[in-house]
Amino acid sequence: MKEVMAFIRTNRVNQTKSALSENGFPAFTCRPVLGRGKSGIDPGTLDIVLAQGELPRNSVGEHLTEAGRLIAKRVFTLIVNDADVKRVVEVIIETNRTGNKGDGKIFVLPILEAYQVRNGEIATDGY
Amino acid sequence: MLLVRAIIRPEKVGLVMQELASAGFPAVTKMDVYGRGKQKGITVGEVHYDEIPKEMLLIICEDADKDDLVKIIMRTAKTGDGAFGDGRIFVSPVEEAYTVSTGKPGL
Repeated sequence: MKEVMAFIRTNRVNQTKSALSENGFPAFTCRPVLGRGKSGIDPGTLDIVLAQGELPRNSVGEHLTEAGRLIAKRVFTLIVNDADVKRVVEVIIETNRTGNKGDGKIFVLPILEAYQVRNGEIATDGY
Repeated sequence: MLLVRAIIRPEKVGLVMQELASAGFPAVTKMDVYGRGKQKGITVGEVHYDEIPKEMLLIICEDADKDDLVKIIMRTAKTGDGAFGDGRIFVSPVEEAYTVSTGKPGL
């Protein structure tokens, strides 16, 4: 089993959710995070992002201080079988790719064991 | 590649992020978390708090950069000599990484 961690744009969450379920990966966990990438954020790009409405106005002042300018992202976590990793990564890239910086990153981590809380069985897959 | 998860005091986040950026680790993800540690939370007067707010930083780095990264976080997130609640750092393996905008593998 593998854990697929995908950091994506918040305005792509709905498309990603439906694309994943269409391709047979209905189970996922996601949460809002703030972060920055390799390139940092320049004020020009920030104006464009604000105009597109990707960031809510009220959170900008709070998080984009000189100490650390951060962008709101959504992190999707899926636990999938080894064989499905390639497909999941493809689906996420297809759905989220705009070709611009800030589209996101995907990481694949190993999972050693999984248990079903309902009946205490060792889960053989992510569902 | 390695995933470094650092759970630190919220008031230290700004400093740690600044130090990381100037040391060449600009890419960081931050999330709010609540939890307790070995000390089972804190008791102030009559009230017991066992969900203490912390911030979790997620950083993906190459294997060779891990020691540097951990040292920087240790140095900046520290508040005193062995003060409880300064946080924890966990390192786990990452097998693959992809950039969505290009579709290419690698950091």
